[in-house]
Amino acid sequence: MTTTEASRDVVFAEIAGMLRTVLAELGVDDVEIDEGTSFNEDLELESIDLVTLTALISERWGEPVNLAEFLADKDLDEVIALKVGDLVDFVVTALARAGG
Amino acid sequence: MGKILANGNNTHYQRMDAKGVDPAAAPTVVFIHGLGTDSLASFYLTLAAPVAAAGINVLAYDLRGHGRSECPDTGYTFQHFVGDLGALLDVLEIEGPVHLVGNSFGGTVAFGHALARPEQVASIVSIESEPPTQPWADRMVQAMDYMAEQLSSEQTFLDLEAQNGAHHAKLARKAAAKLFATTMISEVWHGRLTSAEELRSLPTPVLHILGGEGLQGGDPHALERALSHCRTVVIPGQDHSVLVDAHRKVRELLIPWVRGIHTDVPWIDAVAEARALIA
Repeated sequence: MTTTEASRDVVFAEIAGMLRTVLAELGVDDVEIDEGTSFNEDLELESIDLVTLTALISERWGEPVNLAEFLADKDLDEVIALKVGDLVDFVVTALARAGG
Repeated sequence: MGKILANGNNTHYQRMDAKGVDPAAAPTVVFIHGLGTDSLASFYLTLAAPVAAAGINVLAYDLRGHGRSECPDTGYTFQHFVGDLGALLDVLEIEGPVHLVGNSFGGTVAFGHALARPEQVASIVSIESEPPTQPWADRMVQAMDYMAEQLSSEQTFLDLEAQNGAHHAKLARKAAAKLFATTMISEVWHGRLTSAEELRSLPTPVLHILGGEGLQGGDPHALERALSHCRTVVIPGQDHSVLVDAHRKVRELLIPWVRGIHTDVPWIDAVAEARALIA
């Protein structure tokens, strides 16, 4: 396994954990999450849940990983269609940029 | 991220500090969303980060009965919402003056606050919105009656799903359940309404952003005539959802407007600068 793959696995695990936290607050548990899971169709999350997730990501990784800025460049349809893997891509890229 | 008791209601809010400048010396905008399916997400996921990146402090909050704020059974007059905004600024110790940016009903709340405490408001950006006048209240009565009728019909949700997808239909169902569990529909237009004379004497500069096909498309300059310090920008091809559907254009108008007012550019020049940027 390469360093990048390891990092990607770690980021995915952390984001999945955050999502479980958000879902638990909504009374949902025991849900399967993989990189193809969509926030809207599969997890049935609303935009306000994405705000919570954004805040959790900001708390975890700080300034270099600004999900709110990333989402502000997207149209509503794109935000609704987001999948967990898209977020993992974004975090891994942002962390690599900050580290490089 | 936080929750704080304001006006007796547990209120969810989000803040972003201005970047690249001393936040203590930077202007502050307060984002106020609309009724129903809306929440602070409409602003947080569109304007908040770019506005903070432009050197402006951001506060966004969920109105009572919306998003992650407390949802009491009663207490949804327009006056409650205005009181909530003033109380939130007080408990967060934001002295201002602040720039209030309101979408739809959120703009009406902004006008209500500016009329009550004009010294606390540097400017208003009103998006598809209007002040709390008697004609506004009359329209709200009709709109709430219509909404109650529509949301009582299963066909409404089926149509919504067919036209806009399951996501919108799900949101509407949840909003309907919340609305019917509270007195929001039956009391939101109650409160201290504003006279034409009071409106004309409002000292606050107002940037009024409308969709060309929005709710005020028939007479887009009515607010300019009613206020002494207001100019309207119409974004063609947009409807009442102009904030979400044309958020880049709204951002391009908002940032130079707030910067201009903050640096004592005459408000009419701040309008001209904002308009030129999207022309």
